[in-house]
Amino acid sequence: MSESQLPFGLGGFAVIALYLVGLLVIGWFGRRAQTENSMRDFYLGGSGIGFIALLLTLYATQYSGNTMLGFSGRAYRSGFTFLVSVHFMISIIVGYLLFAPQLHRLSKKYGFITPTDFLQHRYRSNAINLLGPIIMIAALGNYLLAQLIAMGRALQGLTTLPPETAFLAGVVLLASIILVYETLGGFRAVAWTDVLQGSILMLGFGALIYLIMNRFSSISETTLLLMNGSDSDYTKVLPPDAHGSRRWFSYVILFGLGASLYPQAIQRIFAARSQKVLQRSLAVMAFLPFTTALIVVLVGVIGAAHIPDLNATEADQILTILCREVQAGSTFGYWLVVILFAAILGALMSTADSCLLTLSSMITKDIYQRFFNPSASEALLTRLGKTCSWLIVLLLSGLAVYLNQLESKPTLVRLLDMKFDMLVQLVPAFLLGIHWKSVKPKPVLWGMITGLLVTFSLYGNPTVAQIGVHSGLYGLAVNLGIVWLGSRSS
Amino acid sequence: MNAEPPEQGSPFLRVYVWLVYACLFGISIPWYWPKAEITLWAGVPAWVIVTLLSSLAISCFTAWLLLYRWPEDPIAEGKRDE
Repeated sequence: MSESQLPFGLGGFAVIALYLVGLLVIGWFGRRAQTENSMRDFYLGGSGIGFIALLLTLYATQYSGNTMLGFSGRAYRSGFTFLVSVHFMISIIVGYLLFAPQLHRLSKKYGFITPTDFLQHRYRSNAINLLGPIIMIAALGNYLLAQLIAMGRALQGLTTLPPETAFLAGVVLLASIILVYETLGGFRAVAWTDVLQGSILMLGFGALIYLIMNRFSSISETTLLLMNGSDSDYTKVLPPDAHGSRRWFSYVILFGLGASLYPQAIQRIFAARSQKVLQRSLAVMAFLPFTTALIVVLVGVIGAAHIPDLNATEADQILTILCREVQAGSTFGYWLVVILFAAILGALMSTADSCLLTLSSMITKDIYQRFFNPSASEALLTRLGKTCSWLIVLLLSGLAVYLNQLESKPTLVRLLDMKFDMLVQLVPAFLLGIHWKSVKPKPVLWGMITGLLVTFSLYGNPTVAQIGVHSGLYGLAVNLGIVWLGSRSS
Repeated sequence: MNAEPPEQGSPFLRVYVWLVYACLFGISIPWYWPKAEITLWAGVPAWVIVTLLSSLAISCFTAWLLLYRWPEDPIAEGKRDE
């Protein structure tokens, strides 16, 4: 058994199995709570959800498998400078200030279901209605793929099966469970399972910091170990250099504007039962990076001090490696790691189910209904959306298995980077559309197209890489310029 | 063209809000710390503590805005005025 595998006994597996069955039961309750066979009921839970459900679904959706597995690996490699992750997770909530109040209000007034409904309401342009959802679907597909890959890797670390078999089993098992409860209960099932997953995730993060600090060392001892270690270890306590600082700044802007426009997050803004519910949930969310991203960064840094010299792929498994050591220490440690593993599954599944539901709603409503069958009944659209979810999972699971067999595997964080560069090109359409009366559809469309072209053309450019600012932000600057000049002159 | 003109003058768009954010982000991004030597506070790099405390200040300010400066619904406002 490798260092990155967790030796779960029968008891541990029973708890995980119980947890997974619990998700299916919640899906069944979600189906029973269905009041009508409509898209609004299936995709937004009818009249909406209350404070606890909204907070935990926002939390469980925002903090994904990347947060626990990818972030700890990045912190292992970069050291304390990956505190940028705390910063960019806060900046997402700052980004909501720019549009959440108005979008929530408009969604209640006009019955929005997908973010494209706002674009239609504001611009009435078929080209924007097509390009907007394509950008969001591409970004979401990317994100869902990352979760599926992480599901496979999570099971690789849990069993003694051959790695390829374990990966396939992980993807098939977990994706099937998501599909079943989501098909049963739609948004209610997703939000209610998020309550369970979010609670376990919070418990898991608490267990994680307790385990690691108890078993290994305090932050001050970790700092000392790194300062007295190799040159590479010493750099992990240093503040970022000029390039790192520019990158940090770029991350804050990119996440603040791009990640706040995640379509599944926008749908949660629509699904808030009232303004007060949304205000309170977002206010609590502003503090949650300290109970999640910060803990994961500390885990990565403590791992770097105690288990140095791991390569890039091994570094991504630092969390599992540390857990294995803790688990072997005591019965208490064993059960805490079981909880933590359930939390990792919860983080992965809750993000994947939200992405999947939003993807299916956008393909069904924004593409099929808007462009192919405007008179389709609500029942047909809902049925089509469910079928769509199964097809998406089939396609992306196949892709995940294929990517896993490749020699050069994409790291989770690289996947994470790509989608924000695309999503941020929607900023002028949403933000200026909300706040600026004079903004016109044609400049918005051309701004989006040009912004995307600039972004993609700058990928891999050595000068851009040297500066450290994400290519999506150059695209956004050009995009904003076109919208501004175009709207003023027309 | 659009069904309803965008709302104007959100309290979240006031200049002071973004000046406060600029100051807080300016402090919390550790661009100004020297690389040559590490200052430790209670055994932890000082820049880490400053970054975390100023990030906490950003969270507090954001929560305050969300709870106490949320833009009121202009329609509801109008109804109250009538």
